[in-house]
Amino acid sequence: MEEVVRLGISAVLLAGLYSVMAYGLGLIYGVLRIVNLAHAGVIMAAAYVTWLLHSRLGIDPYLAIPVILVVFFIFGVLLYKGVVRFLPRGAAGGVQSLLLLFGIWLVMRNGAYLLFSGNDRAIRTEYSTHSISIFGTSVAQSRVVVFVIAVLTLAALHLFLTRTYTGKAIRAVAQNPDSGTIVGVNVERFYALTFGIGTSLGGLAGLLLATIFAFNPTSGAVELLKSFVVVVLGGLGSVVGIALGALVLAFAESYAILILPSYLTAAVSFVLLVVVLVLRPGGLFGQRVLA
Amino acid sequence: MRQLTRWLPEWASPWAVVAFVFGFAVLYSLPLVISFDSYTHGIITQAFVFAAAAMAWNWLGGYVGQISFGHAAMFGVGGFLSARLLLTTSFPFWIAWIVGGLAAASYALLWGHPTLRLRGPYFAIATIGVSEATRLIATYWGDFTGGSSGISLPISEGTAKFSLYWYALYFMAFVVLLSYYLRKSRIGLGLLAIKEDVDAAQDVGVSANYYQDAVLFLSGLVVGVAGGIYASYFVFIEPGDMFGFERSISFLLMGVIGGVGTILGPVLGAFVFVILQEYLIASYPDLYLGLYGTLLIVVILFEPLGLSGLLLRIARLFGYRPRVLDITVGDTKLTAMEEPEAVEPPESDVEPARKEAKA
Repeated sequence: MEEVVRLGISAVLLAGLYSVMAYGLGLIYGVLRIVNLAHAGVIMAAAYVTWLLHSRLGIDPYLAIPVILVVFFIFGVLLYKGVVRFLPRGAAGGVQSLLLLFGIWLVMRNGAYLLFSGNDRAIRTEYSTHSISIFGTSVAQSRVVVFVIAVLTLAALHLFLTRTYTGKAIRAVAQNPDSGTIVGVNVERFYALTFGIGTSLGGLAGLLLATIFAFNPTSGAVELLKSFVVVVLGGLGSVVGIALGALVLAFAESYAILILPSYLTAAVSFVLLVVVLVLRPGGLFGQRVLA
Repeated sequence: MRQLTRWLPEWASPWAVVAFVFGFAVLYSLPLVISFDSYTHGIITQAFVFAAAAMAWNWLGGYVGQISFGHAAMFGVGGFLSARLLLTTSFPFWIAWIVGGLAAASYALLWGHPTLRLRGPYFAIATIGVSEATRLIATYWGDFTGGSSGISLPISEGTAKFSLYWYALYFMAFVVLLSYYLRKSRIGLGLLAIKEDVDAAQDVGVSANYYQDAVLFLSGLVVGVAGGIYASYFVFIEPGDMFGFERSISFLLMGVIGGVGTILGPVLGAFVFVILQEYLIASYPDLYLGLYGTLLIVVILFEPLGLSGLLLRIARLFGYRPRVLDITVGDTKLTAMEEPEAVEPPESDVEPARKEAKA
């Protein structure tokens, strides 16, 4: 029973991180209808930038959040303006953007490999071994901090998308770009903005990951798939959907340890992805995502 | 030539048959005329096998428009099953390959039948999940795959290995024929219709589920057999290489470099890929992912039909004016080398309907 509670708590904490990385992917897909495979590269790159800032300049990973957000926002906007803009969108055009962004991911992976070698890196701060007690089980402090940051980010994002003009314009463009143009929304500008926000969320996810797990140039691949699982589970409708999707994935993964041999738990998210795509292509809670 | 035309089905061009027979004869006699060293011999054999696998990838990725990032799953299943058969039984090569291929095709159908109903990026992402899950299971199922240390086949250098050249050639030739058939025949038009618009295809009586399943089965079969031949040639195989993500990417790259959706583009892509891998990657092993990525970016941005598109441009410079059929890759209209006589009404019973409407 204690084991069940412990796994439950760690699942909830993990779900926070999952929803941040999934939201980055989901936002870009929801608005531009492009699956950003470079998301994996962004997560990985952000982990390395955080590591560099910490080991070279001594900046605390959590204080580096604004830097990461700005850097990867700019990266995302440049990526959009530089290449993605020229690609066809939508279900039929997905092939080209998929392949191109996949190519960008490969280049980023190779770049990281050349710069930092293929060895695992981890960020060690003086508080990374601290733990706190929740419901009688002790939990690593950094996981709790990551969870809190994730929840705050999602809340801020929700407010941004529902309460500000810019956020509403993004949602309008997602629903119907042509009507957006008619009422005076500069669609291209909001596409660039969305791509930037999505990418900076990927960057934030990378930073948060780096404070908990070790990483190497191939990191991000698993996170990309998990993000996709969450998006598929939760649909593209809302922040709440994404959060619920993240919870489902995190619980499935955590409790799989109880029934599956440990080496197979890594396959849980992949199997879940295929099963959910097949059984509920519309997502468990959200709108249909099947084009 | 007229005799030949009468004998052929209407979708087959007699010139293509002549070119095929000529090409086959040249490649067949090549090692008999010129004596290759075993290194060159190996590279060509490998290119044949990969060309077949790349064409198989292209049936799904190019003809139907369902990009697969997971063909390594079938490559590995075919490779390991035929390797096991060769180790434990005294079957000849080709039986082991076909059994491995059939197993791979069945496996492809197992996960593909449900996932192929998804369009756009969903199928592509699902294939990443499938191949990664397969790789994990294969790596830990040590009894069958030898775990991360792999398995070795008791095949020595010499005549048996030398004869694999012709086996690989027969295999590639068969796949070229199949590739041509799947493009030019009625089935090819059905596939094109599915790629353009699934719902519209369904409306005119093209069953998307049936066609896509059939293509996936054939694709899995060919990739599985390719895995078997690869295993027989390289003697040593291990799950990380056979099922690896890089393996899946390699099929995709060959297709994209050569020309997505073209008949012979993937063959070109496979040869370029193998040469790149042998000469460039061998000298700069740290750069291969970046190189592949750059190639993908360049091809998608500047020449979506890859080398085939490039060749077509060069041919145009020299005054070649093909009669054209527009092929769409995504939303972009592309013009490819296609004889318009291949375009026939996809459904003959459309005609009476039209006449009735007139009446």
